[in-house]
Amino acid sequence: MGQIFVYVFISCLLYLLVAVSFRTLYLVLKFIHIAHAISIALGAYFSYLFAIQLSLPLFLSIPISILFSIAFMLLLNQLVYNPLLKRRVEYWQMLIASLGVYVVMQNVISLIWGDNMLSFRTWPIKEGYQILGVFITDVQSITIIVCLLLVGLSWLFLERTSIGNKIKAVSSNPELAGIVGISKEKAVIWSIIIGSGLAACAGILIAADTDMKPTMGFNWLLYGVVAMIIGGMGKLRYLVFGALLLASAQHLSAYYLESKWMNATAYIILIVFLYFRPYGFSSQPLKKAEI
Amino acid sequence: MDYILHLGILICIYTILAQSLSLVAGYSGQISLAQAGFYGIGAYVSALITVNLGFSVLLTLPLAMILSGIIAYIVSKVAVKTVDDYYIIITLGIQVVIFSIMNNWQEVTRGPLGIPRIPSFSIFGLEFDSKISFLLLSVGFVVLVWFILHHLTKSPFGRVLRGLREDEVYTKSLGKNVGNYKVVSFVISGMLASIAGVLYAHYISYIDPSSFTINESIFILSIVIIGGMRKLKEIFFAAAFLVILPEALRFVGMPSSIAANMRQIIYGLALILVIYRMGSKQSIPSAS
Repeated sequence: MGQIFVYVFISCLLYLLVAVSFRTLYLVLKFIHIAHAISIALGAYFSYLFAIQLSLPLFLSIPISILFSIAFMLLLNQLVYNPLLKRRVEYWQMLIASLGVYVVMQNVISLIWGDNMLSFRTWPIKEGYQILGVFITDVQSITIIVCLLLVGLSWLFLERTSIGNKIKAVSSNPELAGIVGISKEKAVIWSIIIGSGLAACAGILIAADTDMKPTMGFNWLLYGVVAMIIGGMGKLRYLVFGALLLASAQHLSAYYLESKWMNATAYIILIVFLYFRPYGFSSQPLKKAEI
Repeated sequence: MDYILHLGILICIYTILAQSLSLVAGYSGQISLAQAGFYGIGAYVSALITVNLGFSVLLTLPLAMILSGIIAYIVSKVAVKTVDDYYIIITLGIQVVIFSIMNNWQEVTRGPLGIPRIPSFSIFGLEFDSKISFLLLSVGFVVLVWFILHHLTKSPFGRVLRGLREDEVYTKSLGKNVGNYKVVSFVISGMLASIAGVLYAHYISYIDPSSFTINESIFILSIVIIGGMRKLKEIFFAAAFLVILPEALRFVGMPSSIAANMRQIIYGLALILVIYRMGSKQSIPSAS
């Protein structure tokens, strides 16, 4: 039973990381940016490219792959999202466009690296350490530390730095922010750097623990989005609640039923939860339009 | 020749799916990614009942429609409480739930092994086992669905849906129960989609969960968007185009392993382009 707590804790942190990364983008973009799944997958696949195919050392290839993923998403923003936004495309249409981007990129990845599971693990799989009666592996402990660190840092960034405040200003009222001289484009660029960077880290952590598939980003992104919806758009602590609820429901279902039902549990939790609390824990609606 | 008939039947099935989705996505403005789920419910209900109990299609078709109607009702009751972004995630969620039931409830659905030996479509002893007869049958269903949707969207009901799509608050201020209209349109759409599933199951005679994945839902949504949201005739052409596209790629000489990916890349790009073109039509900035 203690082992489940470890699993719940790790999943919760990973969901939280994905949810935070997604939320940073959602604050300014205001649509479900499905192509965010690509930055999760790209983080993992770039590390595979650098660490295995080009056989660079791991400590070099991980930062490079994070940078490459960020650069790619910035390019995507420049080439696809900006022209669309200039034509005053509505938010739901942006969602469809980002779905299109996701479909294209996911297939490009599977054309380049194939559909098989890959792993950039070069180290042998070791038996975990035993702490207080539970087993925990190296990768898992690194995951825990990195997740806590990144979530904390991104929170500090959003709350304490001037760029973070600008992002929040653009999020709450783009026109007014423009009047006082805060450029929306800069805020978008910063949030893409932070959001995609965090997502790429999440992708690398996931791939280091298990393995990677071209479609891996989509599932993880959806878990993050579900955690965000359950939590609501309010403060960070609500996101933690959301991620915790999702992770514990999934692992309990895996414990009592079978692990194959984990996916369905996530969405059943979402649907049941939304029936009672349509705006999540924080009861704060995503957008102002409320019918 | 058989091959062309086969493509014709597929086009019919996708036309039914996309046109039924158009009622939800195009008319009442709810982007749904659950269409492949209802398609799957239709296929599985009909296949399981005919294989295990030997009932006629005449009975399984209404049963499949009722079951997907009930599920659509439950889902949309939750979904109407929320706004657009949540809506798509909820429909996506129900798609994943339906898929994992088909894939994991192995005692009933046999999971990834699928259901083989589904009897062919027969009504009153009339068997539709040749390709040409099945094509005629599917065309018949397409016409039926088309007829229903055409009249539904021209009716006062359809006018309210269109109003709802344009301005939800305004429609509500006219005293229309917006939520109810959304639920009803979603239920009708789900029921019509299950017809396509029944056709598919009895045509292919073997089904497995891989035909009803989230990618299939995205594909159906692309047909609707490329066809132009609420233009039923154009949706038919879009379905024909997207079904024939991979075959055309194969004729060009592309290996089938790449062709599957290329097909998705092409329709992904088409989605982006269509959205890009949609933008130019709305020169008036939306009121905020």
